[in-house]
Amino acid sequence: MNGLKTSALAIGVALGCASFGTEAAAQDCTTKIGAVLPTSVDWGKPIAATAQYAVDIANETGGVAGCQIEMVLRDTQVDPKVGVDAAKALVDLDGVQLLLGAVSSGVSMPILTSVTVPAGVMQMSCCSSSTAFTRLAEEGKTNGLFFRTFATSGVQAAVGAMVARDAGYESIAVFYKNDDWGQDIGGLIAKDFEALGIEVTAQIAINDAQASYRAEVTEALKGNPQAIYMALYPDEGTQVVREWISLGGTQNMIAANALKSDEFKENVGMEFLGSFIGTDTASPRTDSASAFVDAYTARFDGPPSGPGLPNSFDATMIALLAMHAAGEGATGTDIAAKVGAITDPNGTPVTADATGFAQAKEVLDGGGTVSYQGATGNVQFDANGDVSAPAVTWVFGADGIEEQKYISLTEVNDFMNSLQ
Amino acid sequence: MIGVLSYLIFFATVASILSIAVLGLNLQWGNTGLFNGGVVAFFGAGAYGTLILGGIPQDGLIGGFQLPYLIALFGGMVIAGIVAWVVGLLTLRLRHDYLAIATFGVAVAFENLVRNAAILGGAQGIRGFERPLRDLFESALAYNAAFFVFVLTLLILTYLFLERLIASPFGRLLRAIREDETAAQSLGKSPSRVRLTAFIAGSVIMGLAGGLYATFYAFISPQDVLPILTFQIWAMLIVGGAGNNKGAVMGTFLIWAAWTASGWALSRFAPLEVQLYTGSIQFVLIGFVIVGMLMWRPQGLFPEKLVVSQSAAAKR
Repeated sequence: MNGLKTSALAIGVALGCASFGTEAAAQDCTTKIGAVLPTSVDWGKPIAATAQYAVDIANETGGVAGCQIEMVLRDTQVDPKVGVDAAKALVDLDGVQLLLGAVSSGVSMPILTSVTVPAGVMQMSCCSSSTAFTRLAEEGKTNGLFFRTFATSGVQAAVGAMVARDAGYESIAVFYKNDDWGQDIGGLIAKDFEALGIEVTAQIAINDAQASYRAEVTEALKGNPQAIYMALYPDEGTQVVREWISLGGTQNMIAANALKSDEFKENVGMEFLGSFIGTDTASPRTDSASAFVDAYTARFDGPPSGPGLPNSFDATMIALLAMHAAGEGATGTDIAAKVGAITDPNGTPVTADATGFAQAKEVLDGGGTVSYQGATGNVQFDANGDVSAPAVTWVFGADGIEEQKYISLTEVNDFMNSLQ
Repeated sequence: MIGVLSYLIFFATVASILSIAVLGLNLQWGNTGLFNGGVVAFFGAGAYGTLILGGIPQDGLIGGFQLPYLIALFGGMVIAGIVAWVVGLLTLRLRHDYLAIATFGVAVAFENLVRNAAILGGAQGIRGFERPLRDLFESALAYNAAFFVFVLTLLILTYLFLERLIASPFGRLLRAIREDETAAQSLGKSPSRVRLTAFIAGSVIMGLAGGLYATFYAFISPQDVLPILTFQIWAMLIVGGAGNNKGAVMGTFLIWAAWTASGWALSRFAPLEVQLYTGSIQFVLIGFVIVGMLMWRPQGLFPEKLVVSQSAAAKR
């Protein structure tokens, strides 16, 4: 027992010494920013490391607004209580005006409503996808302080609607998986179809692991739609399509990315999938995106393979550039107001590396605006702080899944705007 | 300085809210010996109930009745009580670990229900709650301070109520049932009825904590009612001392302080290279505190004070 106490003491002393070390090495002027990310989860660590990588790039170029940046990283444990407490400590005790995080929407949301908005701190999430943030922003409850670099389900819904329009369908039935993703995308695409004048004959929730979906399929058949849209996973998708076709339903099918599976193709049978078109979001096919992959590979000895890494990088870079534009001693509101100057499509294009960062600072110091070309492409936020993403459509071919068409970010954005 | 004050108020508010839930568990486990493994179900019922009754109307969601806040909070407690009544009728015949498993299952079912029911917000949860009287206060700090006073008042009231309850003949009956149910029954008492009463009372108190929690964050989602919360509340009670209300409150403050302060200290003092791993280190440290307590002081910081006879204690 005493041994344990001694070693605990030793750890304490070691930690104490380490802290003196970092303080001595610190520069004269340091600005703290906060990060609340799930670092105790395996896929959370690379997201945090990528954010730190962006901070290192900024510091390499002499920092932000003349000061070095210190990113204080706190773990959320994917627990809303712990995440909110960490965010509150960063805001109150460390006085940060910029908070990066969190990953889960269920953690980001209470941080937004109970910490950052009341304190006027800007919050930039790399990875929260819930449409609840969009609605909160529309209600004016985020005070323009919330941004995210992760595309919402809106992109896939819009592209699905685009496919239906291009195929000339006039009526369609929607099947969606009964979870947060399915509920989200099913609701969004129904609105998009209506905006395009396509009649939605039925919206049907599909629960997991039912023995039969005959009742649901019969319900959908009643409206006699020209096509069906499916936001389903392969297991339920296979069953629904089998029963749909056996009861005489149309073979005109559109589906979200979850059905992108060979298993689905084999179980349904290629002969029924001739007019099947799938959608998916895609990485941008721009030089800036591949430059990020190369730089990341050089730094971390491996390509960025986990979820949210390019998003985390861009979130940090954009936030830091906005902080620079807002100048020394800027509040969260000041920084948030400058985000538009970083992602201005008419601004000077800058790359997402040290050279680009330094160049962007120069342009901003001269009162100009820049167009940040990041790891997720040419990022642009809408009025609610949301971004969109490029998309692809795909079909089942004889040899597997074949890409049909790449839809660039600009095309996606224009189409989504036309739906409004 | 203002920042430190602001954080301390925030910390004390969360700790006080959790304390109320731990007091509820203490009535069930500490005093009556009911192993409730599904604390989050009742906490969540209170939280969801309060937001549904007091929230603003939203597309596709049940509720949004915009009831006055205190009625909404009370309604949340009533809903928690109803859930406890149903669960209690079904499960209280079970003993110890069987009861724990059954109630744990109820909690998981509750989480799945709110995750899948679109009218309860689904996986996205319920947002956009207007905090009561927010407009009366200009600064967020002043409001948080006022809300803390409100929570603290409820904590003190709950504490005093439970202290009186366990000192009463009914409290003695609870302990009698905990120690030896057959003996209590031989004296003409009805253990099953008393167990159900204690179970509902404790769950209503947890529901109160849930309601306050959702109000404070102005948000609730399935992620707030994961089994980890049940574990945290149990750890607080075990460390503080089961059967002792003072211990329950102290244990809550201590564990929640350890939970948050370890994260803060690691983010501040750990060297840069290990920063990424502080999340995992923190789990280890928290585990140490709990295991250490169980090894060196299994009865908790404030053990239960057993009094053989009230009058004898008064004479002493």
